Amino acid sequence: MKRKLMQLLFLSCLKATEIIEKRLYFRISFIEKLQLKVHKMMCDACTLYDKQSLFMDRAIEAVNKKESAKNIEPAKEEIDLLKKRISDKLADTGSSE
Amino acid sequence: MGKFKKPDIAGWVESFSGELYSWALYKVSDPELAKDLVQDTFLAAAEKMESFRGESTPKTWLFAILNNKIIDHYRKKLKQPVNKDNQIFSKFFNEDKRWKTGNVQAEWHEEESNLLDNTEFLNVLKKCLDELPDKWSACIQLKFLENKKGEEICQETGITPSNYWQIIHRSKLQLRDCLESSWFDAFNEPLP
Repeated sequence: MKRKLMQLLFLSCLKATEIIEKRLYFRISFIEKLQLKVHKMMCDACTLYDKQSLFMDRAIEAVNKKESAKNIEPAKEEIDLLKKRISDKLADTGSSE
Repeated sequence: MGKFKKPDIAGWVESFSGELYSWALYKVSDPELAKDLVQDTFLAAAEKMESFRGESTPKTWLFAILNNKIIDHYRKKLKQPVNKDNQIFSKFFNEDKRWKTGNVQAEWHEEESNLLDNTEFLNVLKKCLDELPDKWSACIQLKFLENKKGEEICQETGITPSNYWQIIHRSKLQLRDCLESSWFDAFNEPLP
């Protein structure tokens, strides 16, 4: 019984960090919330991981914003080349039918 | 051949290529791949011209085809097996699933908001993201590009939820490690 309770309450660091990630994308259960809270109270390394994980998500978002800003207005020449390429391809498939 | 409405398609290529391309590029952030996807979109459109009945605008119709191509692209990526899958945990955790002492990281002594505006830091993170296996980066990108909940992403791509968050878990461990070694460690004084 005691062993079972221990297992229920105490997570490994591997499992705790998994729940930390799961929580960012999915709903987690009451038990998982409790487990995570208890674990973080005792484990500085996972508390730090939690903080850094959140930060990394914000940073990835910043990277994506920066990248998409770079790509937002493709050069006109690039588009024209693409149009030509597609038109040629369409003509090919059209005539081979 | 008679049904093949070539003039329409040609006009659409002229009118919509630019917008379709911008969108594809935003979604896959790879110019060559984005061009292929737009081209495939028009080829598919030409092939099933008869199914376009003008119930939606040509633009909406083309975007729907393109979006399917983009999801297909991610679906394919998610099917790839990844060798690293099982090795990653033993890099960070002991057999008892606690952190290896060498992997108990120090605080990152930098203001978060400064880092988010720091181009050099973002470039380092981009490099770290690019180094992830394809399947992993696809999972990460899906969250940020689609701005969707986990369940929706899983439904669209056919990956199971537990599989999805486990890949994210591995990716984030790997990313953190990469940031430690390529950014944060560079600012720590070497031990005497």
